[in-house]
Amino acid sequence: MRQGRHLSALRTLWIVAILAFLYIPIVSVVLASLANTRYMRFPHRVWTLEAYGDALSSFTTWQLHSISLSIALSVVVLSTILGTLGAVAFARYDWRGRTWFQRFMVLPIFFPQPVLGLALLLTFTAIGIQPSWKTAALAHLVWILPIVTLVISVRFFGYDVAQEEAAYDLGATHVQVVREVTLPQIWPGIFSGILFGFLLSWSNLPLSVFTSGPDTPLPVWLFSRTATNYSPLVPSVAVIGTVVSALIVVGAGLLLWAGRRLR
Amino acid sequence: MTAEAARATDRPVILSLAGLSKTFGDTSAVKQVSLDIPEGEFLTIVGPSGSGKSTLVRLLAGLETPTSGTLKLRGKDITALPANRRPTALVFQSLALFDHRTVGQNIEFAMKMKGVPADKRKARAHELLALVRLSDSYYERPVTHCSGGERQRVALARAFASDPEILFFDEPLSAIDYRLRKTLEVELKELHQRTGRTFVYITHSLEEAMIMSDRIAILKDGDLIQIGTPAEIYRQPRDRFVASFMGEVNILRVEDGTFPDIGRPAPADAAGAYAIVRPEDLLPGSRDVTAEYAVTQRLMLGSRTQLHLASPSGASFVSEIAGAAEVFQVGTSHAFGFDTDRIAWVDR
Repeated sequence: MRQGRHLSALRTLWIVAILAFLYIPIVSVVLASLANTRYMRFPHRVWTLEAYGDALSSFTTWQLHSISLSIALSVVVLSTILGTLGAVAFARYDWRGRTWFQRFMVLPIFFPQPVLGLALLLTFTAIGIQPSWKTAALAHLVWILPIVTLVISVRFFGYDVAQEEAAYDLGATHVQVVREVTLPQIWPGIFSGILFGFLLSWSNLPLSVFTSGPDTPLPVWLFSRTATNYSPLVPSVAVIGTVVSALIVVGAGLLLWAGRRLR
Repeated sequence: MTAEAARATDRPVILSLAGLSKTFGDTSAVKQVSLDIPEGEFLTIVGPSGSGKSTLVRLLAGLETPTSGTLKLRGKDITALPANRRPTALVFQSLALFDHRTVGQNIEFAMKMKGVPADKRKARAHELLALVRLSDSYYERPVTHCSGGERQRVALARAFASDPEILFFDEPLSAIDYRLRKTLEVELKELHQRTGRTFVYITHSLEEAMIMSDRIAILKDGDLIQIGTPAEIYRQPRDRFVASFMGEVNILRVEDGTFPDIGRPAPADAAGAYAIVRPEDLLPGSRDVTAEYAVTQRLMLGSRTQLHLASPSGASFVSEIAGAAEVFQVGTSHAFGFDTDRIAWVDR
């Protein structure tokens, strides 16, 4: 029994260590945002929320968020629609070339993102498209769509396809089969896809750096200001950005929950 | 013709298959199957795996379109009618219950698709629960919380809810353990008798077919090779394949008027190239054809005993006798025989 107690103490210690490892950097960012000097020194001589005041009153903060949000929402909408259709092709129907489709579709995930970003920028300029948040969204899509497609595909493998035939046999039309069986079955996959799509786009730096042109998404601004012109404004905007994305994710979860209760 | 078969044929034909075929690429799964199914019959289509029986039932349900041939329901051509517009229902091998729904929602599905109002659907669902012997409390239960036998009953109720003229079954009991399967077989037969609907049942187990069916159709490599009542198929199999598919049988080759396997003369009126002798007809003692056999194995089957025998030439035989048969110890030799009027003759 003594040994059991030691083991459980060790286990607790291990869990605490992992949580600390995960959260110390985040806590550090929050602490850094509470200073009033551009030089890191801890503990701060003055603890202040000044940086948050500056961030919230600055037009740049709003612009950064609206650009990042525009990109992320476009990516979510397009990757969910295309990803669902792609998942059908990936997982359901046996067609000539399906194996090649399955292989080529996941290839962009393995491509280093900065190289992919540069390649896309060169392509955009070569065919005469001005880079903006729209091209950034397209670039994100190249990398995120395969992931979303895979996430949704998993659900297609996860239920008995005969359910669709059963529904059809019991008198459902093709549209009713999709509404009554297919969509409810793959819905968890679609929801995960939406979540992945949003978070991966919201935090993407290497693709945005090359492809967003004059529009600056949140991570690009954070990166350049950390590198060249640091002030407590940077961590405070980072904290605000984190809170915004968390609120969006929690809000989506609540909507889903409420929707399920109503049904 | 037995009485059962005669009764089956004077009823009007509900489903008529004429030259129904299905090919996938180069392989033909179902070859020119023609068959008339009378109203209210319990027909079982039996075949080993790969015999095309699943394809055949999918053709009947409308989930596959035949390559050639026609299918008529009460004389009306339904060959081109898709599954969702056929007044039939299929109970799938996997059951294919909607596992994101409750038992009630599963049963009500077909009625919901037809636009039946919710209160009527619910009342009918409760009737169907009673029909398949499930209590009302199952209505709200998720299907994922049901046991194997309960799921079978839900699948049955769901199929009945579409008020089908014919019910098809694609081996729904194959994944169920032996005892529960026996119970469900009997319940299914009772359900058939109570509802008077036409049942077409697919299985690889002739034993299952024997218990439940009015008629049995035997399918081999996509060909319908024999059809008849269980008694007819048991007493007069068409060939060695059908005979051995029924369970263990003794097959004796006839050569130049003798049975070379036991070194005895064959009866003068031998009506085929092979004599089929059932284990319960090969019995100890002296009969029309008697020989000396060595006991190689003795298996207790409860009230009966199965003896594995070897003839002097080394061929294997099976005998089934009543009681414990203590005398027939492994290694001892005894006289066994069969009467010629118990032989079923086949040419192939």
